[in-house]
Amino acid sequence: MRDFNFLADDGLVDAILSEIAGLLQTLITDGHSGSVDLLGLPLSASCLAALEQRLGKGEITAILTAAGKSEFRETSFAGIWWSSHADETGRVAAMLIEVALVPQILLADLDDMRSGHQRLLEATNFSRQRKSA
Amino acid sequence: MTFLAFARGPALQVATLIMIAGIFWRLAGVLLLRRRVAHAAARAPFLRRLTGGAKTIVTRTIPRKNFWPRVATGVSLGWVMHLGLFVILFAGAPHILVLHQITGLSWPNLPKGVIVMASAITFAALIALLVRRLTHPVLRLLSNVDDYLSWLLVFLPITTGILLSGETIAGYGTLLALHILSVEALMIWLPFGKLMHVALVFAGRGMMGFNFARKGAAT
Amino acid sequence: MTQDAETLGTMLARRGFGRRSLLKFAIVMTSSLALPPSLAPVMADNLAKAKRQSVIWLSFQECTGCLETLLRSSAPTIDALIFDFISLDYQEALMASAGAAAELTLRQAVAANQGEYLLAIDGSVPLKDGGVYSLTGGRSNVSMLEEFAVGAKAILAIGTCAAYGGIPKAHPNPTGAVGVEDVISGKPIVNIPGCPPVPEVLSGVLVYFVSFGRLPDLDDRKRPLAYFGTTIHDQCYRRPFYDQGKFAKSFDDEGARQGWCLFELGCKGPTTHNACASLKWNNGTSFPIESGHGCIGCSEPDFWDQGGFYTSLAGGSAAGWRNAGIAAAVGLAGGAAAALSARSKSSRPPEDKP
Repeated sequence: MRDFNFLADDGLVDAILSEIAGLLQTLITDGHSGSVDLLGLPLSASCLAALEQRLGKGEITAILTAAGKSEFRETSFAGIWWSSHADETGRVAAMLIEVALVPQILLADLDDMRSGHQRLLEATNFSRQRKSA
Repeated sequence: MTFLAFARGPALQVATLIMIAGIFWRLAGVLLLRRRVAHAAARAPFLRRLTGGAKTIVTRTIPRKNFWPRVATGVSLGWVMHLGLFVILFAGAPHILVLHQITGLSWPNLPKGVIVMASAITFAALIALLVRRLTHPVLRLLSNVDDYLSWLLVFLPITTGILLSGETIAGYGTLLALHILSVEALMIWLPFGKLMHVALVFAGRGMMGFNFARKGAAT
Repeated sequence: MTQDAETLGTMLARRGFGRRSLLKFAIVMTSSLALPPSLAPVMADNLAKAKRQSVIWLSFQECTGCLETLLRSSAPTIDALIFDFISLDYQEALMASAGAAAELTLRQAVAANQGEYLLAIDGSVPLKDGGVYSLTGGRSNVSMLEEFAVGAKAILAIGTCAAYGGIPKAHPNPTGAVGVEDVISGKPIVNIPGCPPVPEVLSGVLVYFVSFGRLPDLDDRKRPLAYFGTTIHDQCYRRPFYDQGKFAKSFDDEGARQGWCLFELGCKGPTTHNACASLKWNNGTSFPIESGHGCIGCSEPDFWDQGGFYTSLAGGSAAGWRNAGIAAAVGLAGGAAAALSARSKSSRPPEDKP
């Protein structure tokens, strides 16, 4: 799709940054995370690029490979993450700014850990059986 | 049938036909009236009488200097309103589109910002004209239903047009239907009240100038 | 655990999809449904606990385009699995059985899920002459709809035909076609219009229903607000050109090549509510305006009878030169009669006044 060359809407970028600042304040005081759905806003490609530039890059990048590739980048502001979720065809299906200690999806899930623990026990039991055999 | 489909369909057709029939009725009704026979010899050839008529149409648009103090406000406001209307109708993209649909002719439009300004000025002029009519003792005495109705039927298209171009208050479809219906109301009333001046002003001044030229008077 | 008692979470785990995949799916769906991102974990939790949802699909007076668009939408693996889980118990075009066996399947599915199944309808319902213009197994659509609506938890009217009557309803509507909502009342109905509808809209409605146990918020035409809350015009990438007054005048002029607004070429974007300007078609590939053709308003009622796809919204249907000529003649006659009457009065000698 041709990208139309209109000026980056600084006003909109400022408004989003203002909202993110508010969410970060809430995280600091109450510990509650928040997010901004970027695909739900009428952002042009240049506006999105301007926002990305203003937020900058931090120290951490994480890749999740589940039902397609997702990428999580901490911005130059601690606690503010740029999350991008692509489906199996590579199309970006969701893009968010997450304000959290760490994006929730990166945390290990309790049910997944339980089934993993079970598999681990089975694997170690099996290897013990093999060793003893 | 949706509201908009009604406005763009049967309502538009009926309004158009009533307006055409009405205009022909009024013009025929005036032009076929008995005219007093002029027994004096003509002081100018036919061509000179025709150009005299055309000249009067133009010269009468500006009042004579001696009348200015009395008529300045009304004439100025009227000019501003008519010029604004002209810009909106003939330089606004959607209206050029309508005229193109009817006549096949098309020409470049002015930027939307210019039309917005013209609309605001026309709107203000209309309000000022109404206030003047209501507060000027002579005008108030002379004004009747025709005057106020004609004012309203011009005011409504301007107002609905402004709301439509701002896409505010209601959905686009509703605003467009209201705008088209307000224009249709204007079209239906046009032949039967003072709004018929759109044709009669030219006919009236033209005839007067023609006769003046015949008499050898100034046009 | 039997297949029917299995939850979606267990089924996904069985297929090797952990909790993260489901959460990612929920993040994508909350974005698509215009829900707050904070609802994603709630949706993921609810989906994990969800049991099989029965859907019974009846096709009436339709072209099968709505079904085709949903089948052909190439969804990524997890979406496909989740929709596999939504048990499509009956659909005539897809199921293997036919005739009496198909009818038995239908009755069994309805009986097994009484009060809980979603009834999906595509195609309009013809009413004229007792509904004889569309029959399945000799039975009219209207009678089938009335019977199977009773045990449904909610009805999905898929496509403009099912929602508002669509193409069969176009003038002169020889079969008396109407939409589902004109036949059924007192049941929750969702209209998912479009000719065809955007596939993600149906997915979104189904996921919402399975996650939250109810239909999403609807507008005054019973359409999901998340997808039909704005017009094409509001989301169109060519909107800056509309605002600047830059319009393509024909399909191959310089303006068209520059991607200018298609308003003058009949685009009905300003009066059409749908999600195609943002979600687009074929997994976000394109939509009519991006491909250079104005919106035809296919998700609005009576879109076929709006006076032409290439007549701009600024225009309308003309009275026609013949009618205009007749009107002029009538006017002339009336005016002439009035003038003649005035003339004859003025030639009579003035009466003596008392």
